[in-house]
Amino acid sequence: MSLLTRFQRLATLPVRVGERIGLLDHVPDGLAPGAPLPHHTFRWDLDKTYLRTEFDSFADLAKAAFENAADKQAYPGATALLRALAQPGHRICIVSGSPTQMRQVLAAKLALDGVAYDEFVLKNNLKNILRGRFRSLRAQIPYKLPAMLRSRIGAPAARETLFGDDAEADAIIYCLYADVIAGRVSIGDLERVLIAARTYDDDAAMILDLAQRAPKTEGISRIFIHLDRRSPPVGFRRFGHRLVPVFNYFQAALVLYQDHILSARQVIFVALEMLDSGQYELGHLATSIQDVIRRGRITRETALRLTSDANEASQSGALSGRTDLPPFEQIASSFRERVRELGDGPLDTWEVDDAPLDYVRLVDEEHEHRRTRRKHGHTSSS
Amino acid sequence: MHRIVVDAMGGDLAPDEIVQGAAEASLALTNAEIILVGDATVIGRLLPRLRHDGGRVRVHHAPTFIDMHDKPGEALAQKPDSSIAVAAELVARGEGDALVSAGNTGASVLACAQQWKLVDGITRAALAAVYPTELRRGEKDDPFSLILDVGATVDVVAEDLVGFAVMGSAYAKLVSNNRRPRVALLSNGTEPTKGPAAVVAAHARLLTSDLNFIGNIEGLDIPRGVADVVVTDGFTGNVVLKMLEGVTETVVRLARYAHKERLSWRLGLFALSSAIDQLKELTDWHQYGGAPLLGFAHPFIKAHGRSNARAMTNAIKVAHKALVGDLCGNISRTMAELA
Repeated sequence: MSLLTRFQRLATLPVRVGERIGLLDHVPDGLAPGAPLPHHTFRWDLDKTYLRTEFDSFADLAKAAFENAADKQAYPGATALLRALAQPGHRICIVSGSPTQMRQVLAAKLALDGVAYDEFVLKNNLKNILRGRFRSLRAQIPYKLPAMLRSRIGAPAARETLFGDDAEADAIIYCLYADVIAGRVSIGDLERVLIAARTYDDDAAMILDLAQRAPKTEGISRIFIHLDRRSPPVGFRRFGHRLVPVFNYFQAALVLYQDHILSARQVIFVALEMLDSGQYELGHLATSIQDVIRRGRITRETALRLTSDANEASQSGALSGRTDLPPFEQIASSFRERVRELGDGPLDTWEVDDAPLDYVRLVDEEHEHRRTRRKHGHTSSS
Repeated sequence: MHRIVVDAMGGDLAPDEIVQGAAEASLALTNAEIILVGDATVIGRLLPRLRHDGGRVRVHHAPTFIDMHDKPGEALAQKPDSSIAVAAELVARGEGDALVSAGNTGASVLACAQQWKLVDGITRAALAAVYPTELRRGEKDDPFSLILDVGATVDVVAEDLVGFAVMGSAYAKLVSNNRRPRVALLSNGTEPTKGPAAVVAAHARLLTSDLNFIGNIEGLDIPRGVADVVVTDGFTGNVVLKMLEGVTETVVRLARYAHKERLSWRLGLFALSSAIDQLKELTDWHQYGGAPLLGFAHPFIKAHGRSNARAMTNAIKVAHKALVGDLCGNISRTMAELA
């Protein structure tokens, strides 16, 4: 290490220590000067979306806080999906409600999994405590919405895809973000939502400013909600067709394949990771395809096209060395059979409802739901 | 992974409660796949409203179903694409491992009989039922005894009764965690020579078996719980079961009458209310899910026609337990040892 580098590291030490213990906010890396704008940004939550985290009791919370990187478990298929999304022109941004003190262990976990990311934002709860802002400890909208808007201002992409979990706040925040950057939520309406979300005045002013400055686009094509709690999918219908509740990441990969974001080969990699986890068998994957077709989230034609494209991918080596699996034609046949099992009758269809979401009511309902959960001995999540 | 086929359209409360029960089972049984057979459009509308695991609940379309009041033989002949016929066929083809139905009992039994093989060594299938008794049994302190057959085989020979004894014992071992279930033949006296010829001959054969055979019992021993498994022919078993149900209903009606009739009786019932609640819980058939049809190469659990979601979840759990414990394999092995 050169003397200059050593000096530079020494000079940034107070900042690094400050960020590490949470006294200073970590400033996400924006685009390098002269770097081209991303054409697609993928925003991921971590807990219950990428990482299997139990938050149902304080013992769970304590366990999550003291786990080391190797102990943390990603959901089967999530790592392969994140790796598949890390393509040129794509930007991976992680916004998590975990405290900043966990940055090192979470970053180590992502490194262990071979997941590359462009931004990694955590919640500075120590700062909230020191400022006496106890409402902010649990609040999600006043934390995540500005984090995403700031990220978008730094690196605006034409399209965005968001990944969260079935804690109700994720669906609300992601839809609100999508509608704000699409220009569908006026500043006055956003202010009312922030009041309902019990946002501190200066934070609300900062969010309103960010919302005005954020480049506008209709580009939020998909919001994936991982059904960690196995919530009934119909509960998310009110958020519109762009929001897709998924039981596992094979289903997310199928929708992204239909959207021409992933190739059949990349879908195979997600499937293989799930099979290798030991928690899924080929039958589960076939049933997962049937489930998304039944819910009207991919078409029968997409599923059949996938088996044909995946056949080509397997012939070009996507399954090489996988002696533990039956021949691909057998797998494809069982997948096709699962689609046929649905018969020819009409499946679930989506009636397009263009009515704007009433975010104030959604936020109020979410608060009420959270209170009910707390009464029953659960802590909040995400 | 065990694949449990569920007739989604069978039962008084089908398909809503059946689908809900299956959805709950998909969350409770992590190494099982639930295959719902029935109208895919109807099931497809119900499932997304329920908490479930979409990777573990599969739908197999069957366009028709057999009503609870249809005549089994005629209905099956006229509706080969009915949910129960398709469900039994899926298991026969090896695409499922066990079947659960709350639908028309005759049609369910006939559908299995038409498409499934019997376990090696078993001559006739038997429908078993559980009933609450005074004594408890097994590691689970199970209050229920098993009686079979309760209607599948009306005329029996000694060989059939021996098969029923083996099947009942294997089932009680598995479901009640009872290592040595006490098996008895139902007769009109405890002496080995009492009863019809088939019972006398079966008694002689069972004495030489490895089963925990305690001999003959009489009707009054059934509610006492003297035996864990009571073996009889389908005709007698059905009469006994209906009589037990009738007695229970009469007791409840008498209690209601007493409640209305006098204040002192009402107060007495109020004082007993917690004990009555416990008794109600003990005898609640929703808890044990369903009755097994034993003797076929695959487990079949016949849930009560009025099964709600909880009863269906429990019936599916019983089917799963039968698969995990290799019930049919155990019956086959015991029969081979007896031969």
